Amino acid sequence: MVHNVISFHPERVLFRPGGVNLRACLCGVPMYASARLLDFLARTKNLSFPNWKPTIVFTRSFMRPSVVKGKIAITGLGIFAAAGKNRTSFTESLLTGKCAIGPVDLFDVSLFTGRIAAQVRDFDPLDYIDRRIAGHLMRADQFALIAAGEALEMSGVRGNYDPYDIGVSMGAGAAGMYHSELWLKGILRGEKSSPSLLRGFLPDHTATAIAGHFGLCGYQGSITTACSSSATAIGWGADLITTGRLKACLCGGTDALSLLTFAGFNSLKVVDTDPCSPFSLGRQGISLGEGAAFLVLEDEAHAQARNARIYGYIPGYAIAGEAHHMTAPEPTGQEAARVMRCALEAACISPDQVGWVNAHGTGTPLNDVVESRAMRLVFGDGVGSVPLVSTKAMTGHCLGAAGAIEIVATVIALNAGVIPQTLNFRGKDPECDLDYGHAGVRQSAAAIALSNSFAFGGNTTSVVIQGPATSDQRPRLFRDKNEWSK
Amino acid sequence: MSGANNDIVITGLAAISAGGVGIAQLRETLEQGKEMLTPVPTEILGEEGHLWGKAGSFRVGDFMPPLKARKFDRCSLFATIATGMAMQDAGLNMASLNPERVGIALGCGFGGVANSEEFLRGYFLKGADGLIPMLFPNTVPNAPASNASIEHGFKGPNVTQVQRFCSAESAFLMACRFIEEGRADIMFTGGADDLNAIMMQGFNSLGQLRSHAAGFGEGSGILVLERREHALRRGAMIRGKVGEIRTIGYLLPGKEPEGIARLKADTRPDIVSLSGAAADFPLLLEGTEDLPRLEVGRLVGRSLAMGGVAMVALFITLRAGKRALHLAASPEGPFFAIDFFGGPSVQS
Repeated sequence: MVHNVISFHPERVLFRPGGVNLRACLCGVPMYASARLLDFLARTKNLSFPNWKPTIVFTRSFMRPSVVKGKIAITGLGIFAAAGKNRTSFTESLLTGKCAIGPVDLFDVSLFTGRIAAQVRDFDPLDYIDRRIAGHLMRADQFALIAAGEALEMSGVRGNYDPYDIGVSMGAGAAGMYHSELWLKGILRGEKSSPSLLRGFLPDHTATAIAGHFGLCGYQGSITTACSSSATAIGWGADLITTGRLKACLCGGTDALSLLTFAGFNSLKVVDTDPCSPFSLGRQGISLGEGAAFLVLEDEAHAQARNARIYGYIPGYAIAGEAHHMTAPEPTGQEAARVMRCALEAACISPDQVGWVNAHGTGTPLNDVVESRAMRLVFGDGVGSVPLVSTKAMTGHCLGAAGAIEIVATVIALNAGVIPQTLNFRGKDPECDLDYGHAGVRQSAAAIALSNSFAFGGNTTSVVIQGPATSDQRPRLFRDKNEWSK
Repeated sequence: MSGANNDIVITGLAAISAGGVGIAQLRETLEQGKEMLTPVPTEILGEEGHLWGKAGSFRVGDFMPPLKARKFDRCSLFATIATGMAMQDAGLNMASLNPERVGIALGCGFGGVANSEEFLRGYFLKGADGLIPMLFPNTVPNAPASNASIEHGFKGPNVTQVQRFCSAESAFLMACRFIEEGRADIMFTGGADDLNAIMMQGFNSLGQLRSHAAGFGEGSGILVLERREHALRRGAMIRGKVGEIRTIGYLLPGKEPEGIARLKADTRPDIVSLSGAAADFPLLLEGTEDLPRLEVGRLVGRSLAMGGVAMVALFITLRAGKRALHLAASPEGPFFAIDFFGGPSVQS
């Protein structure tokens, strides 16, 4: 019995006959015709293809084997944030529900209503980076270099491929703004400002620094779509491997607190005076944060060939524009739902396979309601069994790095066999009537999660994350937490 | 890293730059080889001797009412208006299209800088009372692409890239991929950048007005991409098609030739277009020295995302049946080599 075609990916068509997933890749046959053909076979011949797993795809346009269509595996994770300055400490915060939001002393915040954030405290870059190198990097670059180094070390990818086969796909936000503000302040006061403060002003500086530092030469790109930047960068990084352009890609994002964003969100009156409490009654808005997070992605077959450990997969993603408003989300949730559905379609995943969703979940009154509405549109009657949790209550809203930090948190949670907690619960909001994981971290057998990132400009991104393939690989964190530090 | 995009065609072009507003004006600038760079006013830098490519003939009032224009920053105005011009050039009417199948991928180097400076200036000079909330939304680099998408109703893929002098080319690669894999039927792509006083002062303090930022320009160059079959179905005029896009991120010291080799094609083009710092890399230009060369940045100014204008200029000059190579580079990477073919029916 068939079953609707749920993928519109031109190179893959997914069916769900009898609960069996079939990925079909047809050479040169138009997508819809391929779908119809397989649909016909499945219906009339009662066929199922449990072991059918093609790896070579001919792109529709050229009929030449330019694409190796395997799964995109995650072989490395790195993170540097207020909630943890490495994988181990971040994992501990995630599993124990430790909020990193607190006072800010990076700059004067006394004039603002909301004065707290998830600032990376006690940070001396020289604890991690050589003085000569650190001096040329901005705060956001330094975070990135540390987190990227951790991800690369975990994956062991360098040395296994030609440097020109490994790329860097970054998401960035305010980036070097913090230092540029010091320059501008000096100029406006008629003081002498050091030009070096402008060195990393633009958000692309980090990708260049990483490419040069680690010798990753295949690709260098920075997505700058505000709060969805690094989620898109991870999806795009996966795509660069899918198309055969790269064999491995370091993907992620970084961002640092700045006066611009602190004053900006305060001026819009969307900063909570207390640590943000997504989906709670009485929530007032966001708490800003900072940090960096990275994944190393590889084609599964290549990763297996070099005996790399696989921590999960990025089976698909989607990006869209709401075309509604620069700052307000489309209120019905239809646009947010659309990008979530498209991500699932691209991943050949049906909504009932999704265990939980890592929400954009900023804690602003409107965003949380709209995302809840979108959940209902995507998961329908099953929405009650798909928790919508926000790790921003732990990490703060790290803007350009938010998507990457949340995807790393999701991978860690999937490996640990848990669904994270949405911290700082203040009471039940009648407009937010789903399962938000306020009660605490819980064990879960979920293998697939979705991570949402919605940004200024109506830029929306949703990334599908799949946990490790075999059951003996999870839940490993409860067996040996220290494994993550290896 | 390479890839081909053989069935993606260009059906619309638009440009705003120091070379004028619209394709006709840019064509005239190119045909006459007119250098449109003008002196940077002394009151900005406190010294003479610097040139920039301001889009001086751009009058926003020609395109939208002043009250509406107030919600845009200058870079967003470039992108939004150029996108509208490209839409018109491509013969597209959003009313007859599924907006979810139309997207935008834009390179943008300095979008948001003007508003960021103005917003912070208010704070530094007047404290919290000096903050103007209306300025904040357009401090993000994706403001130009997002404003364009909101104005024109594009609900497909929406992305902004900044990567040094290859920002527009980086976005172009994404746009092609979105069409290739069926995420969109039509993509608007290219770049947008603006110039303002504080940026020039910043470049000057870094000493970059004597090097990479010398003769910076502003404006927007937009190309409309779609699948050939889609274009033919709607009776669009095909101006040319996209060939292989080759890129590397960084030239590894000691292994530069290997990197450059990945940018080279098997066949020779008829014309070479240079953007960003491509002219500064002899290794990259090797084998093309005898070919006609288009370097529009010398005429209208270059910038991080002025590769959009460079690609538009290339298509203005590219004759049917001819093959072009567009090279873009940044001092510390990335590097792009894009093959283009002129006219509606050429074969790669």
